[in-house]
Amino acid sequence: MLTMLEEVVLLTVDERTGHLRSTREFGTAYALVGALFFDLALAGKIDTDTETIHILDRSPSGNAAADRVLAQIGRRSDLKTVRDWIEEIFLQRADLEGEALGSLIARGVLRHEKSKLLWVIDVERFPLVDNQPQQHVKLRLAHAILSGQIPPTRDIMLVSVAEACGLLGFVLSDSELENRKQRIQVLCGLETISRKVREAILGLDRSVRTAMTRVV
Amino acid sequence: MMQMAQETRNGWRIVSVTGRADAESAHDLEAALLAAVNEHPAVALNCVGMSYISSAGLRAILQAARAAQTKGAEFAVCAPTPSVKKVFDMSGLHHVVNIQEGLSC
Repeated sequence: MLTMLEEVVLLTVDERTGHLRSTREFGTAYALVGALFFDLALAGKIDTDTETIHILDRSPSGNAAADRVLAQIGRRSDLKTVRDWIEEIFLQRADLEGEALGSLIARGVLRHEKSKLLWVIDVERFPLVDNQPQQHVKLRLAHAILSGQIPPTRDIMLVSVAEACGLLGFVLSDSELENRKQRIQVLCGLETISRKVREAILGLDRSVRTAMTRVV
Repeated sequence: MMQMAQETRNGWRIVSVTGRADAESAHDLEAALLAAVNEHPAVALNCVGMSYISSAGLRAILQAARAAQTKGAEFAVCAPTPSVKKVFDMSGLHHVVNIQEGLSC
């Protein structure tokens, strides 16, 4: 089974061209940190309440990126809240996307191609070797959003990360997203980690707007 | 630490929880609720003695509600304490799960 981080990064791959699509650069970076925390929660390593993060089990899960973060949480007693940790990992600028792509290549889901644009500019592509995992992720997202049923835990998490990354538009039409706006908001609110990712993104948006206002 | 008790009243299987619904107890809570949903047409989670709920506890409730929805059974969460209700309100749980202030069932 793919990790939450791998599933979301897989969703950024254009199935026709192999190019990575990203609509919200910083939003995506925050959301990928959220995906990592969901992987830790699903592995039974952490639990959260409305603010605080609790370590349940310090032993490695076998997911390198998640284990690195788990070890950091274990070492730092000064950071206790989910928001603190989302900001901390975001500021470390770890290449979570690159790690997930590497893992997807190793699993035989993607392959890596490098080429030159105008003989100078490096262009990277990640064509799908096996399109089933991406289709599976898209189907689960579509079902979670379009059906009236309560989704499985993992799919609730997936919707919230994909929404924060701006990736739902690659799964559903504009009209479907508009019609199910309220449903998406409800699903995104159910998990503390999702709410804190959203707060972090909104906080960054506010900071950027304030900075721009000062410049202008 | 969490303790559970079960009884049937007015056609409802009532699962009463005392203590903390956190990662340590969430698996037991979910298992008890799923078994109750599987065996009864109407199940209520009585939260009057629940002192704390974490994300893992919320997920257990959500998955029990999902199982009830799939089966066509009734499922309700009743009488949350103020601290637990605060968590329900923050998560918007009432949008997907029937939450009753009292133990009306």
